[in-house]
Amino acid sequence: MEIETLLPALAFYLFAGVAVISALMVVIARNPVRSVLFLIMTFFSAAALFVMLGAEFLALLLIVVYVGAVAVLFLFVVMMLDVDFVELKQGFAEYLPLGALLSFVLAVELIILGATFRIPKEFVAQTPITADVSNIEAFGRVLYTDYAFFFEAAGLILLVAMIGAILLTLSTKKDVKRQKVCEQVSRTPKDGLKRVDVKPGEGI
Amino acid sequence: MADFGSNMAALLPEIILVISGLVLLLVGAFAGKKAVPAINLTIVGILLLVAVLVLLRIPDAALSLFDGALRLDALAVFGKFAALLASALGLWLAYGYLKTDKRLTTEFGVLILFAALGMMIMVSATDLLALYVGIEMQSLALYVLAASNRDSLRSSESGLKYFVLGALSSGLLLYGASLIYGFSGSLRFEGIAAAIANDASVGLVVGIVFLLSGLAFKISAAPFHMWTPDVYEGAPTPVTAFFSVAPKIAAVILIARILFDPFLQMLADWQQVVIAISVLSMVVGYLGAIMQRNIKRMMAYSSIANMGYALIAIASGTAGGLSGLLIYMVLYAITTLGIFACILAMRRAEGMVEQMDDLAGLSRSQPALAIGLTILLFSVAGIPPIAGFFGKYFIFLAAMQANLLWLAIFGAVASVIGAFVYIRVVKIIWFDEPPQQDFVPVSRVQAILVASSATLMLPAAIWFLPALYEWSEIVALSLFAGG
Amino acid sequence: MSGLLLDYLPILIFTAIALVISFAFLAMPLIMAPAAPDDEKHSTYECGFPAFDDSRMKFDIRFYLVAILFIVFDLEVAFLFPWAVSLGEVGPYAFWAMMVFLGELIIGYIYAWKVGALEWD
Repeated sequence: MEIETLLPALAFYLFAGVAVISALMVVIARNPVRSVLFLIMTFFSAAALFVMLGAEFLALLLIVVYVGAVAVLFLFVVMMLDVDFVELKQGFAEYLPLGALLSFVLAVELIILGATFRIPKEFVAQTPITADVSNIEAFGRVLYTDYAFFFEAAGLILLVAMIGAILLTLSTKKDVKRQKVCEQVSRTPKDGLKRVDVKPGEGI
Repeated sequence: MADFGSNMAALLPEIILVISGLVLLLVGAFAGKKAVPAINLTIVGILLLVAVLVLLRIPDAALSLFDGALRLDALAVFGKFAALLASALGLWLAYGYLKTDKRLTTEFGVLILFAALGMMIMVSATDLLALYVGIEMQSLALYVLAASNRDSLRSSESGLKYFVLGALSSGLLLYGASLIYGFSGSLRFEGIAAAIANDASVGLVVGIVFLLSGLAFKISAAPFHMWTPDVYEGAPTPVTAFFSVAPKIAAVILIARILFDPFLQMLADWQQVVIAISVLSMVVGYLGAIMQRNIKRMMAYSSIANMGYALIAIASGTAGGLSGLLIYMVLYAITTLGIFACILAMRRAEGMVEQMDDLAGLSRSQPALAIGLTILLFSVAGIPPIAGFFGKYFIFLAAMQANLLWLAIFGAVASVIGAFVYIRVVKIIWFDEPPQQDFVPVSRVQAILVASSATLMLPAAIWFLPALYEWSEIVALSLFAGG
Repeated sequence: MSGLLLDYLPILIFTAIALVISFAFLAMPLIMAPAAPDDEKHSTYECGFPAFDDSRMKFDIRFYLVAILFIVFDLEVAFLFPWAVSLGEVGPYAFWAMMVFLGELIIGYIYAWKVGALEWD
């Protein structure tokens, strides 16, 4: 086989295999911290698969946002919650039949959906990406013009999230001395030094 | 960007809201605790002002904004006005309550303001993306408000529950939206309608059902109601009052728009789903309400049942159904706000009480409040001369015209069972022995809200119902005329 | 192979080399290093965390606040990438769209700063 087709195929199977195995490990790992680490691995392989599809921007987002921030937050939550996971898993066998039934129904639904799916004709014609425009540039061309409204609204949603996080978690302790940079910098020798005329033999 | 100017002009109310929200956030951060009451009152004023502004700027014909992402039509104006008014009154109610408890913060008002902005986007969305952005903006603010009483374990629990289940429902909604996009090739309602007219495939049915499930979560319709009682009970009471009114109006209008606009051609497909949700909601809501002793939990189940009635109107799929829906939602909103103003008045010297039995003997200790609450409870029960009856009447009428006679009969029977729930409270108020201790006197805000909402429910407010009917009629016809 | 994937070939090779080297460094001590563990070696060094203990303990909620604020600004940065790449073509409208977006978040930043969310007491 030609190297031009072999290499991408090899890379695909490598990354897809790693993604599937580590996704499985997320579920079955006993230690939740390990689950999160496997989740990060899944994100990485998925990012690699996105690159192979030509969706570079999504790959970048996956690494910057999901691996860089979301996974770290997952770790925080896992470590912060004092959950006894052994105890949590006790009802597992009890719920297994119901869970299996539900997964079976979902699987059947997915298969039916996959079998009936056909791509509408107009949809194919709408595909906008041409070879000479990179994925990220194609995003940029529409995101800040045609989709500017959603873009600004997304900014407001981020702001609401920020206000919410601060409102729910910020607690200022009363009796703590904080840095006051402005005051500290603008302090002159005059404020700190006082010349006292000490008389001999009396002290201050 | 030639249409930039006209887009901005049409969005003036939203822009005013955003700018004032940002400015007041900063003012609150810099001015500290002293300015908090003033800021919250300013936000109430701004919400009212913007509501009036929305009314003043009704466009002659429906305006399509941002290339079809939003539409400013009669329905959007109706929804924006109702949502803004409900948000303003909700914040006003909360203001008095939280100020007494010294728990008022700048962020509280600002979050309600941004929630109101989210609702304005929701009611005017004609694009799956705009729909999602509006819902998220609204929900995110609501999650935080539910947990806003950090010192209370129940408040934190309710915020967490609401957030986790809300995120799940957003997932369902997004899954449905992505299926609709995949099978129709368009995010815009226009494009979706064209795709359906061309070829209504099974994928679209699955998509709209998932979308409906996500939206049913937001209006707390059964079987997606599990979060409601706990969240209503745990959240601070004025937040519960806000939850049960403004977001419901916005979400119901959103459902009506998506089902009546692009998906009306698939009426046969979604009608059964809506009917099923509606019947379940009425059954679960009223049976659940009978079991409750806590009045906030009872109101939670009551709102589930009320959403069942709203869904009857949607299931009819006609202009009459839409106008009935709007009348019903307005009456529901007014009654609910009034009842919650009464619940907020259940304050003894040592703190708030929430059990129904605490209302015992209210007729002797505070007769005015007792009369107001009785009228409101009769209204929500749907007892004839009071306005709530007409809300149900128009819905049943629409259902019968859409050949859903059995659904109308079912609704009528359910409302008889439901009447028991409300009349039981009335009985406690008028016939039970009063406890040793009276409630502290009602505040001015609560008195005004109870009095005005109860007055509007009476047949004496003769102008109110016809005016509401006329407006809802205009709105419904304009949507169905394709304008 | 398309041109796009060829661009990423060096990164693939780099990843492969990194994997080989890191596994080698993990494997080598197993074979070569002397191992004579005792209690003293396994105990906590100076005032650090216990090395072999339940990792789930109560953290200060402030860590969480910092992480959330980080996510918010991380997402903001993610929006900047496509803007930077396409700014030449999309013109002043996109420029001002981004300025408004940044303005919204800068107001959030000032707010966070002012109420003391960025401080650690």
